[in-house]
This record gives sequence, C-alpha cells and structure tokens, in this order.
Amino acid sequence: MGDFLTLGHGSGGRLTNDLVRRITSVFPAPETPSAFEDCAYLPDGYAMTLDGFTVSPRVFPGGDIGKLSICGSVNDLAVRGVRPEWIAMGLILEEGIAEEEVIGYMRSAALVCKELGITLTCGDTKVVPHGAADGVFITTCATGRRETARNLGMHALRPGDHLILSRSYGRHGATIAAQRFDLDVPGLASDCAPLWEPARALLDIGGLRCMRDCTRGGTGTVLCEWAEGAGVGIEIREDDLPRDPDVLSVCDILGFDPLYLACEGCMIVAVSAEDADTVLSRLAQFAPCSGAADIGVVTEGHPGLVGMRTHIGGHRVVDMPVGEILPRIC
Amino acid sequence: MEVCGTHTVSAFRSGVRSVLPEGYRLISGPGCPVCVTSQGQIDGAVALADVPDAIVLTYGDMLRVPGSNGSLADARARGRDVRVVTSAMEAPDIALASPGRQVVFLAAGFETTAPATAAMLSEAAGRGLRNLSILCLHKRTPPAVRALLEDAALGIDALILPGHVCVILGHAPFLFISEQYERPCVIAGFSAESMLLGVLDLTIQRARGETALHSVYPDAVKSEGNRKATELMDRAFVPCDSVWRGLGKISSSGMRLAPSLKDFDAELRFGVSPGEPPEPRGCRCGDVLRGRITPPECPLFRTTCTPAAPVGPCMVSSEGTCGAYFRFYKGGTVAWEIS
Repeated sequence: MGDFLTLGHGSGGRLTNDLVRRITSVFPAPETPSAFEDCAYLPDGYAMTLDGFTVSPRVFPGGDIGKLSICGSVNDLAVRGVRPEWIAMGLILEEGIAEEEVIGYMRSAALVCKELGITLTCGDTKVVPHGAADGVFITTCATGRRETARNLGMHALRPGDHLILSRSYGRHGATIAAQRFDLDVPGLASDCAPLWEPARALLDIGGLRCMRDCTRGGTGTVLCEWAEGAGVGIEIREDDLPRDPDVLSVCDILGFDPLYLACEGCMIVAVSAEDADTVLSRLAQFAPCSGAADIGVVTEGHPGLVGMRTHIGGHRVVDMPVGEILPRIC
Repeated sequence: MEVCGTHTVSAFRSGVRSVLPEGYRLISGPGCPVCVTSQGQIDGAVALADVPDAIVLTYGDMLRVPGSNGSLADARARGRDVRVVTSAMEAPDIALASPGRQVVFLAAGFETTAPATAAMLSEAAGRGLRNLSILCLHKRTPPAVRALLEDAALGIDALILPGHVCVILGHAPFLFISEQYERPCVIAGFSAESMLLGVLDLTIQRARGETALHSVYPDAVKSEGNRKATELMDRAFVPCDSVWRGLGKISSSGMRLAPSLKDFDAELRFGVSPGEPPEPRGCRCGDVLRGRITPPECPLFRTTCTPAAPVGPCMVSSEGTCGAYFRFYKGGTVAWEIS
C-alpha cells in the first residue's frame, strides 16, 4: 500500500497536493516560483499554464470535454490577470472512437477560442490501442500576456480582506456525478465557462489581491490552500454562500459536501474591504457571475484554518478533502 | 449518542455541537455500515476481486476500507475490475451485459439497503441470471444497540435513533431501549433542525424523568415502518451472528441469505470464507464506536491514522467518527467563535 497511485491521488485534495510536491521536488526550484498558483508568470510579461482533461461522460449538460479543455486552461490564466492568446493542444485518442465525435469536441473548443480571440498554435495527436486510454484525453497549454503589472497571488492576502464567490458553487461536480450515477436532475448543468472577461473587469481595482477558479477539489479546497499557503485564517458564512438547490439535492442523495465539488466557471476573488462592493457590481455585469456574493473574510486569528458560521449559527472547520470523493452507502 | 453515521456528519457539517449548551456531549455510535464491516469481510471482498474475470460491484465508501491485504481501491489500482454503484438494482443489468464474467455485488449496509438487495435478488432469480452473486455483509441495527446498552461502562443517557433505519423498521424494534434499558430515545431526521429538535425532546424527557421512544421525524417514519420492505428482507435473509469491527461478535446482528437463495451466495460459489484477522495494533476504534473515547484521545489519531492511510475503520468513511473528526476537528478546536 502507498506504493501505487489510486484515484484519490487525482481528486484535487490533500493527496493530489502531496503527490505534486513529491513530483516537483525532483526538479530544481524555478527562479520565480509560482508554486501552487494557477499559472506561472514568465519573463517579459508572458504567462503559461497547462491542464489535462479526462472526464466521464465526455458530453454533459452545459458542455463537453472540448469546451472544458479550453475553459480550464484559459481560466487558470485569467485569474492571474493574463489575457489568453495562444493555445497548444495534445490529444490522446483511443482506437475505435468515431472521428466525428472527436471533431465535435474540437468544434466546441474552437467556439470558445473564437469567442476569446485565442489562436490554436500547435498540437499533437496520438492514437493508442483500445484500452490504453479512455476515449479522449486532452491536454491544453495556454499562454498569454499579463494585463496587470501587479503580482496577483495568495501572498497578497491580508487580514480584513473580503472574499467574493462569483456564482453558486459545485455545479460541474454535481452535474458529472448526476450523470455517472444516473440521477435525473432537470435544469442542472455544468458551469463550464470562460472567466477571462469578468476577471479582466476587476484588474484595475486597487484593492484586488488575488483570484482563483475553483476547479477540482472545489471551493473548500481553494480556501484551504489560501489559508495554508498564505498563513492567514479564513472565515466564511454559510448563509451568504450562493447555493444552488439542484446541486444540494445531488449532494443530499450521494452524501457529498458541495464545498468540495468541482466548478469550471466559478472563481473566488479576494479584495480589500473598501473595494468589495466594486467587485460585486462589476461582476454583476456578466451573466455567469450574476449570483456573485460576499461570503467571508480573511483573518489574523487561527492561521492556516478555514472556519464557517453555519446556517443554525454554529461553527465548523472546513478542511481539504482527502482522497476520492465517494458516494456513501445510505 | 447518535447511532447513525449520517447524523454524525450532519452534526459536524452544521455545527450542532457548537450550539449545544454546556453539559451536553454528543457521542457518535456504530451506525456507519462501512466502519463496522470487519476486516475479514473486506479480505473476502478483495479475494473476490482477484477471481479471474470477476466484476465486483460496491457502494463507493467501501472502496478505501483497509483489509489485511489492502483495500478494494488497491485491488482496482492493481487492475481488478471493481466498480462503484449507488444501487443494488444496477447489478442485474451489469450481469446481463457481461456474459462469461462473474458479477459479485458487495451487499453492505443496514436495514436501509438490505431491502434493495432483496428486491434485486428476486429480480435476478426471475431473470435466471447465473453469473450474479452477492457477498452478504448486511447488518441489523437493533441487536448492536442492545449490545451497547448491555455494556456497563457505557455512559450514554439517551439515544438519537437512525431515521432511515426507522423508516424501514418502524418503532417496535427499538422499544426495548426505553422499556428494558430505561433510556429516553428519539427518532430524528437528518437536518440540523431535526437533530436539535431531537435533543430538545430528550432533554424534556430527562427533565420530566420519562423514558419513552418519541419521533420528531413523523413525515418519513411510520410507527409500523415499511411493511413491503421488511417482508422482502424477511424472505431473502435470515439473522445470523456477525462480527462488527471494533465491537466484536454480536448475536443475531448479521444477515445471511435464506436457503432458497443460496445459489446467489458468493462465499459458496467461490469458496471464499471471511476469516477473522486480529484488529490493527493500537487502534481504539472499538472504544470510539462504544462512545468511550473521542477520536483525538486515540494515540493513532492524526499521527499514523489519517483518511489517506486509515488504520481503523472509523477513519475510512466520510461518515466514520474519526474521519468526521479529522475533517472538522483541527488545530485543537472543533470550531471557534465567528463574528
């Protein structure tokens, strides 16, 4: 045990975090570390990120693996104030898949690229024997140039900062779980969407500290990474969280905590107290962020921990999930 | 004590403990089916995954439970075909779609999931499916609660009864708690509000010196239970002694297949018989399940026993007491005052 990777190592929580640390420790540390930020700032104002996509099912309400593969990388740039300009794409395709299906995903991907003015610059296509991959794996590398000179990152978090969540959380994870476990939830769709435009609209706000898109591991994991990474405390209020009843119903059935479900078009913004309302009013101009809400604050007390004031007026700790998120028995 | 693991998680998620006045202590009982599945039974499940061409179907949270030779997740990582299902009813379709392969359903859970297993077996028998069997891990709740109450060292004043189990069984199988053991008990739902209402009911009973079985979950629980479900269960299973991890062997607390269904018994079909390996050294899950200690009092808690590498069963499931404490008890505090 412990010598083999399990799916838990890929679920985005604590195990993933530890595995990535072990993998990267083999390499010499870069001169400008961007450890555990969404993308890396490069010299001359450039920035770069890379993301791999495997999703089952490949088509889901609200998107497909093609759309996801662009949004995922683009959002990693966007939340650090980088305009996505070029994308490189690697495809690993399993023998036997219909070409038309693959082209369909590429059309979805191209649509997002067109919307944002992104050019596909290079790519790679491999076909592997049946069983060597699950249908379609896509890796995208997005690059672009920074539209802010400020170094957006969790190091900028200060006690007293407000935390803004851009929309109801957990939609992507709940949608995929509903599909996998055959739950019929009409109206539930993934939040998969590019965040560049809303993120860009915030870049000139003086009190902007950092932003993060909540992907694998969900909102709770991002908050924990911020608290641990920046050595600050974080307190959120359950009643202020923009919650979606469809997501909650899936969570009820499967025993999931929505705080740990993946999002693909939802970000957390940290901003000084005086600029919090500006962030909210700017986000409100964008349809995917219409439900944005001020959910909590950064504190000096209990560094490294995330706490939540619950609906009944109680308190609890929000910790990073460990291992694969599994549906419970009853 | 809240008997049910779903109550345990609900209490942590909603911060129920933090709003209870001083003097209340909520003890988490043995009501997580994953937690109490014995190591020997997990070994049996892993052995079934190793049968050539077998497909093992399991509820999700069983995957990580450690046996003596690893977990089902480890078996899956070794290339064994272990699949997560959310309902027993998926098993017949998978068996039908997999001719030439043996499909084994790990039938785990209390009286909440056992009726679904029974219904599935009746369908499988009707369809003449010969490549489907079950490893019967089902357990019965009332004998375990009785065993707890027999323990003189147990300091439990009152019980919150498992709402879902009571939906199936009704009130009668739990009346012994108030009548023979003179403890007030209440059937509660799973929202924070319902749990608090349950605590209030128990408080009033205690203040008045009453011991009765009450329900604050009448929308879901009928006093006679769900007749159809209990009939299905009674036809498919017969009570047997069963080993609960941490609690040991409890008389009549298990279920095995009725003689008419023994063709579906994976233990007989594949010659797999769960042994009883010794429990891991130092693990105090038994004391946690009895409510004698809280998880942080166990020397292994958070040191060698974590959700990533669980030693004892209570750390494995999201509903296990130790797993819940690990996630919600941090930095020496369960919570702090948030303005």
